[in-house]
Amino acid sequence: MAQLLFYLLSAAAIAFGFGVVASKSPMKSVLSLLATFVALAMIYLLSGFQFLAAAQLLVYAGAILVLFLFVIMLLNMSDLETLAEHPTVSLGHTRVAIATVSAGVLGLIAILGAGAVQASESAAMPPDGYDKIEWIAALLFSRYMVPFQASAILLLATMIGVLVLAKRRRPVQTTELGRVDA
Amino acid sequence: MPVEAVTLADTTTKELPLLVLWLFKAGLIYGGLLGTAALMTLAERKVSAWIQYRIGPNRVGPWGLLQPLADGVKFIFKEEVVPDGANPLMFRLAPILSAVPAMLAIAVIPFAGEVKIGDWSFGTLSIANLDISVLYVGALTGLSVYGVILGGWSSNSKYSLLGGLRASAQMISYELTLLLAVLSVVLMNGSLDLRAIAADQASTGMWNAIVQPVAFVLFVIAMFAETNRHPFDFAECEPELVGGFHTEYSSMKFALFFLGEYCAMVVMACLATTFFLGGGALPFIAELAWYVELPVFCAKASSFLFLFLWVRWTLPRFRYDQLMTLGWQVMLPLALVNLFVTGAVVALGWHPLLMPLLAIAVLVPFALLFGRPRPRSESLTHEGAAG
Repeated sequence: MAQLLFYLLSAAAIAFGFGVVASKSPMKSVLSLLATFVALAMIYLLSGFQFLAAAQLLVYAGAILVLFLFVIMLLNMSDLETLAEHPTVSLGHTRVAIATVSAGVLGLIAILGAGAVQASESAAMPPDGYDKIEWIAALLFSRYMVPFQASAILLLATMIGVLVLAKRRRPVQTTELGRVDA
Repeated sequence: MPVEAVTLADTTTKELPLLVLWLFKAGLIYGGLLGTAALMTLAERKVSAWIQYRIGPNRVGPWGLLQPLADGVKFIFKEEVVPDGANPLMFRLAPILSAVPAMLAIAVIPFAGEVKIGDWSFGTLSIANLDISVLYVGALTGLSVYGVILGGWSSNSKYSLLGGLRASAQMISYELTLLLAVLSVVLMNGSLDLRAIAADQASTGMWNAIVQPVAFVLFVIAMFAETNRHPFDFAECEPELVGGFHTEYSSMKFALFFLGEYCAMVVMACLATTFFLGGGALPFIAELAWYVELPVFCAKASSFLFLFLWVRWTLPRFRYDQLMTLGWQVMLPLALVNLFVTGAVVALGWHPLLMPLLAIAVLVPFALLFGRPRPRSESLTHEGAAG
């Protein structure tokens, strides 16, 4: 039963994951992403990680995706569609970007996978059940303190970077009319 | 409760099969939730009538008690309209997404402790006993935004879109405050389990409404915003937006939005009771049987439900920029400071009663010094960016 559910959920997660990339409407992409996150949360729940499941829904589905939706709704839909038909970035650049990102993601997965194997070998199992929050907190603030803090700083840096990019764009758009949005 | 529990009494404690027990509890609690939500629609009109010196609905059944039923039948027979250019799938999905999270959240509310009838034990009076029920509730409140956003977006109507955007911006803003206030409670009682939070307050006798006055006030205000209730009901704001995100909805789909709103109110009332009023506990009495706890819990939750109605019919609506200013510039910093102070008090092992004293000592002079109303022109400049 649990195995059947796992396969069903995994299939759903992968299918919706494809939906994110494949669908033309950004709204549908975000909703597919939501479905993916929910499926992932259910897989966590199935494996007994209640905390992870709740955190997944709370952080990703509840907060981050809503912001995505906001951005998409506030952008003009017709602008997005014309942008997709007449891309401002050349195909070559797109390919380079896609290749870089894929390589980065694959590398990250490899590193994380290796780390996970290492962690599962070395980390002590929690006393009763995987899901003691004290246990997660203790690990997070002792053994994984540095990665934890580093990822926090990374997120902060990303946030500031986005702010800088978004702020810089505005005067360019207003002063040189018609140059940026070709 | 089933009758055979008494007749089949034996010397040892007996239990029903788990599945039967779950189904039974789920039926009972969901029935209660939906019944309360339906009655709330009537109570809303009755209370408004009472406040405005009218009589209110009194034609259907005694004291108009069957009015919700009549309304339901009316909704079912109304024509279902899907507007031109609307996204049909999402248009239908939105009411469901708006109603379901509120209904799911009731599953972890601990209405009363261990239920025992004769020799039969029925476990605690809550559907699910989750160690992390606070996070579960938080996750579901987060998901409830989707119904509003999708409803507004998929209707293909300006008013709906604006209403959906406003409502979801408001819900996201106040969700932060709500969860931060809850986190202070979690720190105070040292658990992410609603049962443990209620039990801790009951055993020490210091309810969080007393020990955590700041968090309590913040939670109550954020609770109104989170359920889109007056004075924060920008989702529907009739004079500005026709009907907000559900302008284009008719028939049962419209009713589902309302059902969701009322269920969310019931859930929020139950949460406030659990977090701040010690669940089903009475002051100065240590242990209560479940048949005392349940009415006490319901009475406390009902007082919150009445507060919802009372505020709706007495306070004027906020302006949108006032709402955002209040949320981000007043409530969020206050919630963060409160969380910090709570953490310090808990970590240093000081007496928890220090916090209400500190709150009074700091906040009252602060409010007196800086609490003047903002000049209108200054706050209006925010509106262009936000709305």
